[in-house]
Amino acid sequence: MEKRLLVIGLDCAAPALVFDGALELPNLKKLMDGGIYGRLRSCDPPITIPAWMVMATGRDPGQLGLYGFRHRRGYEYNKMWIANSTAIKEKTVWDYLGEQGRESILVSVPPSYPPKPVPGKLISCFITPSSEQAYTYPAELRLKIEEKFGPFKFDVTFRTEDRSQVLSEIYEMTENHFQVVEYLLEDPSWTLFWFVEIGVDRVHHAFWKFMDREHHLYEPGNPYERVIPDYYRFLDEKIGRLLQKMNERTAVLVVSDHGAKRMKGAFCVNDWLIQQGDLVVTEPPQRGQSVDNLKIDWSRTRAWGWGGYYARIFLNVEGREPQGVIKPEEYEAARDELAERLRAIRGPRGEEWKTVVIKPQEHYPELNGEYPDLMVYFDDLYWRSAGTLGYGTMYLAENDTGPDDAVHDYDGIYILYDPGKSGGRKQEANILDIAPTILRLLEGPSVPGLKGRIIE
Amino acid sequence: MEKEFTPVSIPTSLYKKIEEKIKGTEFSSVSSYVTKVLRENLAKNEDNKEVFSPEEEEKIKERLKALGYID
Repeated sequence: MEKRLLVIGLDCAAPALVFDGALELPNLKKLMDGGIYGRLRSCDPPITIPAWMVMATGRDPGQLGLYGFRHRRGYEYNKMWIANSTAIKEKTVWDYLGEQGRESILVSVPPSYPPKPVPGKLISCFITPSSEQAYTYPAELRLKIEEKFGPFKFDVTFRTEDRSQVLSEIYEMTENHFQVVEYLLEDPSWTLFWFVEIGVDRVHHAFWKFMDREHHLYEPGNPYERVIPDYYRFLDEKIGRLLQKMNERTAVLVVSDHGAKRMKGAFCVNDWLIQQGDLVVTEPPQRGQSVDNLKIDWSRTRAWGWGGYYARIFLNVEGREPQGVIKPEEYEAARDELAERLRAIRGPRGEEWKTVVIKPQEHYPELNGEYPDLMVYFDDLYWRSAGTLGYGTMYLAENDTGPDDAVHDYDGIYILYDPGKSGGRKQEANILDIAPTILRLLEGPSVPGLKGRIIE
Repeated sequence: MEKEFTPVSIPTSLYKKIEEKIKGTEFSSVSSYVTKVLRENLAKNEDNKEVFSPEEEEKIKERLKALGYID
């Protein structure tokens, strides 16, 4: 009989929590004991968008032309677009399987709004504006889902100081997702079933400081100390229920798009650029003002930055930006000089940082879309980049847009369980390896140009 | 590594016309203006950027900010 694959995507699941054995996760352990597992190096940037699509297509962010959740629209200063499913031009593993007449069921693989026709069925992801919009393919799937389980819960309300409320919303959402997944698994038509649970990411960002003794805001004996371990156990139990429904021809891949680690703080990159003379303002910034509505003197500005888990730095180049000041022939030298200064930034107590600065043109063999001039991981991702400014300090103990305890880390996880094969092996892999591995496992077509290696 | 910028030749008369046109506008160079016009023209064939209404886009931006993905 034909083999099938169930992919359980745990957005942000971290190796330390899954592999270290400190948490009892009997169902995941069973998969590890019988399969291959290990750290999965994410893409650059290690962010939900583009990471899941890197996994699904086997193409890197440069090829996809996707560098995060938003991109500049051309080279004007204030125009941007938000990543969505129509931006994915490369074929995914389910497209390739579809060419062989095989069906897939996809639940919340980002970005999947608006719902595009796929060979099979699809429910869109957390970038869906609300459950009022069409969010399934085919459209009537939504009615079936809502009839049984109510409107699909795409996300939780985040950044509220009421952590108990966030936590109950995370549980409600995850419960809703697993109910829907269990129901859709009954459908006999699928060869590939790919589900992404975003709750893992949300629980990390909202509760990491309560668990991690090294976090600068950790308080011993706090009431939320067990929240993350408990949520992992809850997930493990839910995964166990799914596994009971699988037969001997179903392989299982549990995988995350990136990892997580404690956040040390947020660095106000635009305040730094002002101090350095790269960014010139006509009015001093208000406290917490976004760079998007800052009064900037573009005729004297050389660079500005965007916030997020990493910083995107844009240079103001003559002939590209409307009021560019850096001459095209000086671009490389100006960029190298700025990169050098960024690398030399130190922490709030003068401590050295391991800041990583990436030049997209050198990092990606192929480069599409609206890439920044520089990508910056402050202190190896421990410090997120604040796009807002005007706090009187460049170093914020918390996220600029609200409480956030965790940042992303390079390594996520994978556990590949194939009932036909022996296992218990630990080996590292790369996010680019996932697509070719799925295609091999399901005897899909051979696809030229995939850079990943088959995990076997 | 490919160079990030490359020159294109256009007729001097056209260059002068553009120079006149951009006087007093936000464009400080002919190249900036030409880049914008060409990019917009080529982008007409792309369908991936008008998915959200302005209200939806605002709402999603707020949510993405709250989630820490942007800003």
